[in-house]
Amino acid sequence: MTKTHNPSTGYSRRDTLRMLAAGGAAGLLAPNLLGKPAFGQPTTPNGRIVVGVTQEPTVFNPLMPHIEVDDSVAFSVFDALFRIDPQGMIVPNLATEVPSLANGGISEDGLNWRVHLRDDVLWHDGTPFTAEDVKFTLELIVNPDFRAWRTTGHALVRDIEVVSPTEITWRMEQPFAPYLSFLTETFIVPQHILGAEANPNEAAFNQAPVGTGAFKWGQRQAGDNVELVANPGYHGEGPYIERLIFKYIPDMTVMYTQFRSGDIDIAGRAFITPDNYAEASNLPGRTVELVPAGSVESIYLNMEKPQFREKAVREALYYAIDRQAIVDILYYGVPRMTETFMPPQSWYYKDDLPEQSYDPDRARAILDEAGWLPGPDGIRAKDGMRLSFANSTTTGFHLREQAQQFIQQTLAEIGVEMTIENHPAAVMWAEFWQQSQFESVMVGITYLIAADPDVTSRFHTGAIVAQGGRGSNNAQYSNAEVDALLEEGTRTFDPEARKAIYHRVQEIIRDDLPFLPLFTNNTVYGRKAGIDGFQPNTNTRSEAWHAAGWYWS
Amino acid sequence: MSTASTLPAPAPRWWKSRVVRRFLGHRLALLGLVMISLLTLACAFGPYFLPYDSLQIDLRGRFLPPFSGDHYLGTDPLGRDIAARLLMAGRISLLVGFFAMLLATILGTLVGVIAGYGGRTVNAVLMRLVDGFLSFPTIFLLLALAVALKPSPIMITVIIALTGWMEVARIVEAEVRSLKEREFVLAGRMLGLSRAHIMFREILPNCMGPIIVAATLTVARAILLEAYISFLGFGIQPPLPSWGNMLNGAQQYLGSAPWLAIIPGLAITIAVTSFNFIGDGLRDALDVRSDSF
Amino acid sequence: MIAFLMGRLAQSLILLVVVSIIGFIVLNLIPGGPMSQYALDPGMTQDDMARIAEQLGLNRPLWVQYLDWATRMVQGDWGTSFRDGSPVTAVIARHVPATLILMGSSTVIAVGIGTWIGVRGATHRYSSFDYAATIGAMIALSIPTFWFGLIGIYVFSLQLGWLPAGNMYTIGDGSLLNYLHHLIMPSIVLALVHIAIWSRFMRTATLDAISQEFVKTARAKGVSERRVIMKHVVGNALLPMITLAGVQLPSLLTGALVTETVFTWPGMGRLFLDSLGYSDYPVVMGLLMFSAVLTIAANLVADIVVALVDPRIRLA
Repeated sequence: MTKTHNPSTGYSRRDTLRMLAAGGAAGLLAPNLLGKPAFGQPTTPNGRIVVGVTQEPTVFNPLMPHIEVDDSVAFSVFDALFRIDPQGMIVPNLATEVPSLANGGISEDGLNWRVHLRDDVLWHDGTPFTAEDVKFTLELIVNPDFRAWRTTGHALVRDIEVVSPTEITWRMEQPFAPYLSFLTETFIVPQHILGAEANPNEAAFNQAPVGTGAFKWGQRQAGDNVELVANPGYHGEGPYIERLIFKYIPDMTVMYTQFRSGDIDIAGRAFITPDNYAEASNLPGRTVELVPAGSVESIYLNMEKPQFREKAVREALYYAIDRQAIVDILYYGVPRMTETFMPPQSWYYKDDLPEQSYDPDRARAILDEAGWLPGPDGIRAKDGMRLSFANSTTTGFHLREQAQQFIQQTLAEIGVEMTIENHPAAVMWAEFWQQSQFESVMVGITYLIAADPDVTSRFHTGAIVAQGGRGSNNAQYSNAEVDALLEEGTRTFDPEARKAIYHRVQEIIRDDLPFLPLFTNNTVYGRKAGIDGFQPNTNTRSEAWHAAGWYWS
Repeated sequence: MSTASTLPAPAPRWWKSRVVRRFLGHRLALLGLVMISLLTLACAFGPYFLPYDSLQIDLRGRFLPPFSGDHYLGTDPLGRDIAARLLMAGRISLLVGFFAMLLATILGTLVGVIAGYGGRTVNAVLMRLVDGFLSFPTIFLLLALAVALKPSPIMITVIIALTGWMEVARIVEAEVRSLKEREFVLAGRMLGLSRAHIMFREILPNCMGPIIVAATLTVARAILLEAYISFLGFGIQPPLPSWGNMLNGAQQYLGSAPWLAIIPGLAITIAVTSFNFIGDGLRDALDVRSDSF
Repeated sequence: MIAFLMGRLAQSLILLVVVSIIGFIVLNLIPGGPMSQYALDPGMTQDDMARIAEQLGLNRPLWVQYLDWATRMVQGDWGTSFRDGSPVTAVIARHVPATLILMGSSTVIAVGIGTWIGVRGATHRYSSFDYAATIGAMIALSIPTFWFGLIGIYVFSLQLGWLPAGNMYTIGDGSLLNYLHHLIMPSIVLALVHIAIWSRFMRTATLDAISQEFVKTARAKGVSERRVIMKHVVGNALLPMITLAGVQLPSLLTGALVTETVFTWPGMGRLFLDSLGYSDYPVVMGLLMFSAVLTIAANLVADIVVALVDPRIRLA
């Protein structure tokens, strides 16, 4: 883990420098993995791979606001300066090396960056790729008239200078270590096409993108599929397949059915549902594997709601949830139990936290002791307040809805009323979530950004948006000791020292229970057995992050 | 859910008996009446005779096929008894259908009578409003409203009523307009009766026939609409069962547990068919022109 | 007549405005908005979301947004989709063919089978066929379309394996046969209700036509019964049915939306649900106006046809 490049959200100058050095080392250790052919691949692209996805890719300008599924197309059609590999190492893509303090790509103070570019890259229309395209891209992102996606980091870039077609430099307003990994998701767009557009928001390019990637834009059947074709002149590894198709199947069950029948070759995002995992594993000619995901499923509480202010209540609620039954029966044993927000695969994961057990008697005892006594309607109350709350989740996730109703019943057994108020995603994740208007939510949250243990934006008092803060502390969790630890964590560079800090954070949060952890997810990946070169990469949002390497054996 | 309301009560005796005779002579209508009565009775009292509660979860007994032990219709993905859920769902669905019909009919009748009896401007404004509502595809309005408002059973009833009153309004308006110039109305006017009296005491009773027929068909329609929005997950929220939300998620288990989809759908079809049969019979019995089919 | 037409046309335009205002209000009643889809993206900051909302013009007062939208609409600019940035007209146009294919094929089925059932029912009045057809039509009208689709999938896809469970075609097989194979089930499911409606109306229309003088004359002249039915009766009964087809259009559209969700058909119904899900207001409004225009036009045509027939209006 230490040799892995971990960008951090909280940063300081020293931290930045250390990160940059580590990133550079990683670059040296992994010289251009993406350009190295292995064995068994065909010499000319042939065949076709159909990837099923349950959301429709619709945004093809990778710099504009988009969702996960759009990344799959972006990764295939475009290149970024760098890529992040499954081990979390940053490797060159359009650049020839990853800039670092060691190779002089980044100045000692972390402010001046110099990137050398490949000289053998052509846009899909035959125009050579140059440093001007990089400059254009970085400037377009911060163009106030352009509807750009994330601007974090890019907003700090100043004085971009094209030294030569293969060399570009810029200055950062302040050191920002995570920028290197942000650049792995910043796809370079062609200046000669988009630069000529009066309004880049509505350019024809956005519907028929031209990139430098392993696949060229083919065609789109709206509401159904997007078809990409091989770019035989690709500068990196591959592509080995002639056509790459993303097939939109709006229902996860239907997608699985088509995976089983062989209509699709890879079951992409949102992947195979746990209830189909056992059957999928036994399908002949299919490779099905569990890939640890970074998200933690929990009953996420709004700490400012009067019902949840008392720790005894949260503890009792936790004891009244039969997690084993949820994981083993409702989720078919696919996820893993957890007691913390930290994914088990993280080096910072604390594995000896107190383990919850399903113990309704103990839950009742805790509530009795705390003065929450059953009222005439069977629901406990204290000082005139009934122990009743609403739980919400997105409509349409049937397993989650089943777990929700199951929890509702076990809570009712200890005299707690949980009502269900589910909303469509567009309603759920708007003000209701962002401004902490919910009482409790059943949700899977990825707490870490690119594997760094810093969770300031999730648990720091200053990150409560509903109280004027900046971040995503939607639970409105506030604990002075955690605040102090988190601040210390972003200033600390020694991994062992950080480990101690984040272990303590996990302890406190396990004790405070701002959320009741249910489990940590495993994603069920499925593909036809004949597909080689497929690598899951949880550091990206796309299963097709490296479709260039896929081939039929 | 009372079936008595489908029979015309406030009419003169001679007329009533003839209508009843004709209605009872209509075999399909009778069949519909029997079916919906049985279904209503089953939903009202059935749950008390079943060994299981509709909300009782049993994870060890999930996905039991019909006729397994005491679970006459099997169990759902949480091991709940489908028979119990079906009957409890029937209460919700039938009540939603009935009250949506009541609201829609009242609203539609009011608008129809006022538009029909009122002057040119009132008529034009109200009827254009009716046209306006009619030119929304029902599903659009329904889904958008269901997303916008909290989907409690009462809200769903109101939403369905809001999308279903226009037919009644149209029928009533046409009827009132044709009755407006008839002798008994003119006589009433000469006697100096108030407008409201003429509209609601003189004209309205004379268009009860078409209203009753339209109301019956509106129940059928309301049940179908509730089923559809709940099927899409925008309607009645779990754990409260409705026929529609029992179907929500059933598509996932179509291969492994098809009864999850078949049983509630059959219940919906039986209920809706019954109301359509009854509506057809009433139309014949009340001599209503069959152009609202 | 001209005055009547102009009046009716003006009313239709006012109606469109009313519809658009109601639609706009209902849509904006919905809590949430297009930013929701980025709320769980860990790299997205609240500032970025505020900036994008600003760029989309979402923080302007509602009436300004409406006026802006309406002004552009009048000029033929339906706005651009929040989701993919292309013009709303283009987005809708991309989804129209799939829906048209579905509606077209199911109309052919409904008209064909419905006409046959209706005419046969009328010519064999009170036969067991007639009764069966009447009862069948009532039941067909009572079956929830989406449920009928599910049962179809269960029987023909999962149990028998004869027909595909969804989609418009198999990727990589663009043959006509493949399209037809995928079309069978959704178009029959969508046609069911319309077969029922069509057959009922056709029965009435045929009964009307049979009693007319020229049919009796034709019979008297010794024209074969089959020919009388085919040429005179059906021909005359079909005429008023064309109006019906127009009036049925909106309900056909709604039915298509329902059918599309069950059969994962890439048409306008899918587009509507997806756009509602992403709060892509311009596209939802566009679809709303598209169907409102269709409905209002169909009603207008029906009114004009009625007016042409009705001497009181014609002479007024």
